Amino acid sequence: MKLDYLKYAINNVTHRKMRSWLTVISILIGIMSIFALISFGQGLSNYVTTIAAETGVDKLIVQTKSAGIPGADESFVITKDEVDFLRKINGIKEVVGMYMKVVEVEHDDELKYVFMISLNTGKERALIEEMLTVELDKGRALKTGDRSKVVLGYNYQLENNLFERPITLRDKILIDGNKVEVIGFYEKIGNPQDDSNIYMTEEGVEYFYPEKMNKYGYVIARTELGSDPAEVAEKAEEKLRKFKDQKKGEEDFYIMTFEQAIEMFGSILSVINGVLVLIALVSLLVAGVNITNTMYTAVLERTKEIGIMKAIGAKNSDIVMIFLFESAVVGLVGGILGVLLGYLIAKGGGIIAANAGYSFLQPAFAPSLIIGCLLFSTLMGIIAGVMPARQASKMNPTDALHYE
Amino acid sequence: MTNKETIIELKDVWKTYKMGAVEVHALRGISLKVKRGEFLAIMGPSGSGKSTAMNMVGCLDVPSKGNIYLLDKDIAKMSESELAKVRGKKIGFIFQTFNLINTLTARENITLPMVFQDYPKEERRKRAEDLLKMVELDNRMGHKPSELSGGQQQRIAIARALANEPEVILADEPTGNLDSSTGERVMDFLTKLHKEKGTTIVMVTHDLKTARHADRIEFLKDGQIVPEKEAFT
Ligand SMILES: Nc1ncnc2c1ncn2[C@@H]1O[C@H](COP(=O)(O)OP(=O)(O)OP(=O)(O)O)[C@@H](O)[C@H]1O
Ligand SMILES: [Mg+2]
Repeated sequence: MKLDYLKYAINNVTHRKMRSWLTVISILIGIMSIFALISFGQGLSNYVTTIAAETGVDKLIVQTKSAGIPGADESFVITKDEVDFLRKINGIKEVVGMYMKVVEVEHDDELKYVFMISLNTGKERALIEEMLTVELDKGRALKTGDRSKVVLGYNYQLENNLFERPITLRDKILIDGNKVEVIGFYEKIGNPQDDSNIYMTEEGVEYFYPEKMNKYGYVIARTELGSDPAEVAEKAEEKLRKFKDQKKGEEDFYIMTFEQAIEMFGSILSVINGVLVLIALVSLLVAGVNITNTMYTAVLERTKEIGIMKAIGAKNSDIVMIFLFESAVVGLVGGILGVLLGYLIAKGGGIIAANAGYSFLQPAFAPSLIIGCLLFSTLMGIIAGVMPARQASKMNPTDALHYE
Repeated sequence: MTNKETIIELKDVWKTYKMGAVEVHALRGISLKVKRGEFLAIMGPSGSGKSTAMNMVGCLDVPSKGNIYLLDKDIAKMSESELAKVRGKKIGFIFQTFNLINTLTARENITLPMVFQDYPKEERRKRAEDLLKMVELDNRMGHKPSELSGGQQQRIAIARALANEPEVILADEPTGNLDSSTGERVMDFLTKLHKEKGTTIVMVTHDLKTARHADRIEFLKDGQIVPEKEAFT
């Protein structure tokens, strides 16, 4: 490896400024996209891992099979009998059901449609609290006997978010026309949906919406310590199917561990991310062809120079190295700039996402990602330069010298 | 020093270029010996094959027929990298059109042959400076060829040819692109090199006055060596 060739390569790349820049830009775009996309992908998977860890691995969820936001499908129900049935299954320790309902909220003559979730205030309430992962920000939690009282998600405290004027503790608001008192706020969860939820006691929901009685939209269970949650989930699904008298494969619900659910969510995101990365890779392929083209032009332009170098003792391998160094430099510079711009874009994207309420959507910058991008772009430069470099080295010295 | 040692020998060398169906015989059986320390001039009309012969002696090309021996080694039997090594270490080429690399400075141009032969950096720097002093251009070492006159470029080219202390200097019309006084200056350097260092020089020229600097003149016509009186008729 001769460092002199590197100096010579940089000299030549900077000499044909315009063309080098255009080539560098084409790589930069690809690397920038890949860097930004992967950093978001990694940020998301980090988030999924922390959520899974915070929520605990002992939880199972029962929810509708139809797609959409969990609990939104109001035709799907689990009855109290079914919840009691689940509780008796071997390996299951606690089960708690939640009512789910879209409600109309009125505050200062402004109307909003949001999601209301019932909170169990019995001895199994801890299960829901663990699931929510956040604590109370202000006020107190719901307790048994709270009928016309609600706890709100974080965003209600913000100005011009859900309502123009923020809601404060002890404010009275109308939910579907019923006056209720706000007794607490939860901390920020990190996405606009969850942060605009309304929480009411089970008895409150049953009082204001008698038609909801006995129709849970979402059920959480805790498995016994020492049992395998995945195994319990499978067994419980089978048993509940028989209890509900549904045919195998035609059940309207599924039971999975919380880990499996979050992994599913994570894998959907990573598939989307993967597709985007693939598109970026195609753009890099185009950039590679661009480098090859630039290098062929450079070889042609410098035919005479190649002849001179051979006349003063350059071996074919020296010529190959000289041109490979050049294309590697182009690749590396594109990589460095691509990583820098990708970093700025990802940072900016993270800030925009946070401002939009999706504070969990944050990029992660692993050193391996940075090094990987730089190695990849350099390697691409080298590969793209192989054919032009070989052509340069194969030139007959006299013919090359006479080229004008 | 054995002054009689043969350093270059051409034995019945032919070079034929095929241009479609037409065959151009650039050389038709040339035999020639160059002794160590000799200054040989080659003259002849345009198209007589002078450059062709020089290129083959310089291992830039191979003969179609016949043999060329450089220090008793047949160049036809050498591999690509051996030829490159000979070009780099044993031969110093000086061209009519200087052939410096435009993107490199004078000093870098002189250093390049040493880079190809893996000279240590410090040695390269020292030698490049010595050579620049020798051709009296040490004040121009950071200049690019485009910032130098023709005569100065050719002096840099001479310094470059000497970088790896070659056995032979091959100069193909070194003064061809220079006016006569600048040409004289360049010839002074070559003559000095031959006289003081005993460097073997083979030089092609059109100009009889330039050729007179040499110990011996050979004449080429239509790809063959001919006596002087036949050469330009
Ligand atoms: N690459 C080539 N392909 C075809 N023909 C060639 C090639 N190189 C040289 N020739 C031919 O070979 C002959 C000798 O050419 P060469 O360049 O050796 O002449 P020269 O004596 O150096 O002439 P000049 O004094 O003009 O430089 C010419 O007829 C020329 O056209
Ligand atoms: Mg010629």
